[in-house]
Amino acid sequence: MRIHEHPIIEDFKKGREIGFTLDGSPMRGYEGESVAAALKASGVTTHRYTSKLNSPRGIFCAIGRCTDCVMVIDGKPNVRTCMTPLAEGMSVQTQHGLTPRKEG
Amino acid sequence: MQRTIRTRPTLPFSPEGDDGLIVCRCEEITKGEIRRAVYDGMRSMNEVKRYLRAGMGLCQGQTCQRLVQGILSRELGLPLGETGRIRGRVPARPVILEDFGMSDGDSEGV
Amino acid sequence: MLRYEMIVIGAGPAGLSAATEAARSGMQVVVFDENARPGGQLFKQIHKFFGSREHQARTRGFRIGENLLKEAEEAGVKVVLNAAALGIYKNKEIAVSFGGATRGYRADCIVIATGASENMMSFKGWTLPGVMGAGAAQTLMNIQGVRPGGRILMVGSGNVGLVVSFQLLQAGCQVEAIVDAAPRVGGYGVHASKLSRTGVPFYMSHTVVEAKGSDRVESAVIAAVDERFRPVAGTEREIGADTVCIAVGLSPMGQLADNAGCEMSYLPAKGGYVPTVSEFGETSIPGIYCAGDAAGIEEASSAMIQGKICAAAACNSFGYINDEEFRERAEAYGLSLSKLRAGMFAPQNKGRTDISHTAEGYPLSGSLLQRGYISQDEIEAFPAARPGSGKGLRPVIECTQNIPCDPCQDACAQGCISVGGDITGLPTVDGDRKCTGCCMCVAACSGQAIFLVDEDCGNGSGLIGLPYEFLPLPEPGALGLALDRSGNALCGAEVVEVRKSAAMDRTAVLMMKVPAGMACAARFFRPADGRQACRGR
Repeated sequence: MRIHEHPIIEDFKKGREIGFTLDGSPMRGYEGESVAAALKASGVTTHRYTSKLNSPRGIFCAIGRCTDCVMVIDGKPNVRTCMTPLAEGMSVQTQHGLTPRKEG
Repeated sequence: MQRTIRTRPTLPFSPEGDDGLIVCRCEEITKGEIRRAVYDGMRSMNEVKRYLRAGMGLCQGQTCQRLVQGILSRELGLPLGETGRIRGRVPARPVILEDFGMSDGDSEGV
Repeated sequence: MLRYEMIVIGAGPAGLSAATEAARSGMQVVVFDENARPGGQLFKQIHKFFGSREHQARTRGFRIGENLLKEAEEAGVKVVLNAAALGIYKNKEIAVSFGGATRGYRADCIVIATGASENMMSFKGWTLPGVMGAGAAQTLMNIQGVRPGGRILMVGSGNVGLVVSFQLLQAGCQVEAIVDAAPRVGGYGVHASKLSRTGVPFYMSHTVVEAKGSDRVESAVIAAVDERFRPVAGTEREIGADTVCIAVGLSPMGQLADNAGCEMSYLPAKGGYVPTVSEFGETSIPGIYCAGDAAGIEEASSAMIQGKICAAAACNSFGYINDEEFRERAEAYGLSLSKLRAGMFAPQNKGRTDISHTAEGYPLSGSLLQRGYISQDEIEAFPAARPGSGKGLRPVIECTQNIPCDPCQDACAQGCISVGGDITGLPTVDGDRKCTGCCMCVAACSGQAIFLVDEDCGNGSGLIGLPYEFLPLPEPGALGLALDRSGNALCGAEVVEVRKSAAMDRTAVLMMKVPAGMACAARFFRPADGRQACRGR
């Protein structure tokens, strides 16, 4: 999904490649890009499942206004992934309602 | 001053095929629930918000406000501009309560 | 509590312009923005802007953003990022959240420049991952460098829908279709034309009725709508798509003005609820100003001027500039703004469907409005688009609507092209002046509506110079098909030359040879080797 060559944009100014985890599994992304972009680039589309209907949600506005893309980041729920820069070792978890899925 | 015209639907509530459609994405409120709220006596965006929580979720109505206003406008036969709006309130963005509390005079440096 | 003379909320085009204007006049200014990068939505805009030289026309949006940032820095404006303004209280106190705390500030004056949010529409399956705002797609591909999807359905044919669709093609996505419930294309005809000729189909009087898929979009169902915009049963058509982009307008973000206690009114022409403002952008609360999309939906160039106007007013009221200086500035900015707010797409014409002719009296192309491209008969009504009688290359200008734009007349060193003093006028071509074939007009046209055409370049061939902003760039000698304005294959074609230069700013010009008689209809090149850069239909 990453754009390697673009007719207009010379350089997407990415940080260094780093590791983070999604629900415990290792993932790669670039430092400073949004968590949402890093997930999208890896083909992850579902960020959370809603409280009432347990329906999947993903990126919707990508500029921090709709709050649909929230996930549990480093243990904090409801974090807008489109506004959160990716950092080395970050723990990203799919949000079920307001919490990550309980283990076991 | 905001003028609120109070009118009520003249016909009894009748279900529509797409009543199950989600309108408020944050609180998962459907079109049917909002339509029913109008027949229950809710006449403005703020009343629907308090009654159903539509527009009261994380995004504070930034996504659904226009859609709810559209439903109110159709059900009540009012122009869109007379269905009221969600009052802009603090905090305008989601903020962790702990951060919100850390407020006293700590603005050195910037 | 720290005090600033001016606090600006939002580091987009309006906010940064206001801050720079105020700081240059001596005010102490801080700008808060909730994003990690400044510039608002300007850095997502990779197309060349419209307007005149004074509006930085034909400069790409993100370059305008870079200039704006540089100017703000040079003026000594302090920009605080990742800082969300949470509320405005009495006595112009502002709560701002950043760095894990909420801090209070006091301002002598405030500029609210919080921009807009995208309007949405609800339909079955609209909560599925893969349904997103057109702006979200733009952020992903143009800022983050990640494609939003592979196959896109665009809902909405206003300028946002059209511009983002073209950028999706540039990012290597396939745009399956553009649908709009309105019977007429809402955005500039030139934006629609550059999509149509690549083969993107337009479905007017259609809407999306369902996004299908279990945990993400796998296809979308569209249907025709009746005159009251209700889907007509039996007209459904399923389109393979993994992404549905919604571009059905913007709403001003007036929450902070509302929260501050500014008088608000619902003005459909401005896109929704906006604070009531004076001609200088001052709200009902003295010292609180509102500029840019938050004050009414327009575009970035107008937002920048509005920002300057309210900053000049603030500077005047705090004694940084005298009345005479203020009058001069206000007059100059007002004039510049009025040039942008002219033509058939001007804010005061929003929603009008009764415009049938250009200001020059030429009939508007019905095909352009209903299908997204100009038919061959209709194009001939426009003198600048008529094929020339003489030999040699000459500009053919397929600019058929009055929009505020004039870079073409600046681009031609020979003076072949003239727009005149009113920048919404259609350009005219002076047939007596010699076109040198330099291609600068082709590259300068923000709407990509200028072609160089030689009907008969010898050996039974015609030659067309066309703007091309896709990768891979064809090599000279590349064979393929010439497409007409609707994107249909017309005839075989050969690229004989590829022109590019720094002055053309990444708009290459392909010199395409076609059989004689085809040069008046061939408007795009599709390579035969399958390495098709841009994939419409």
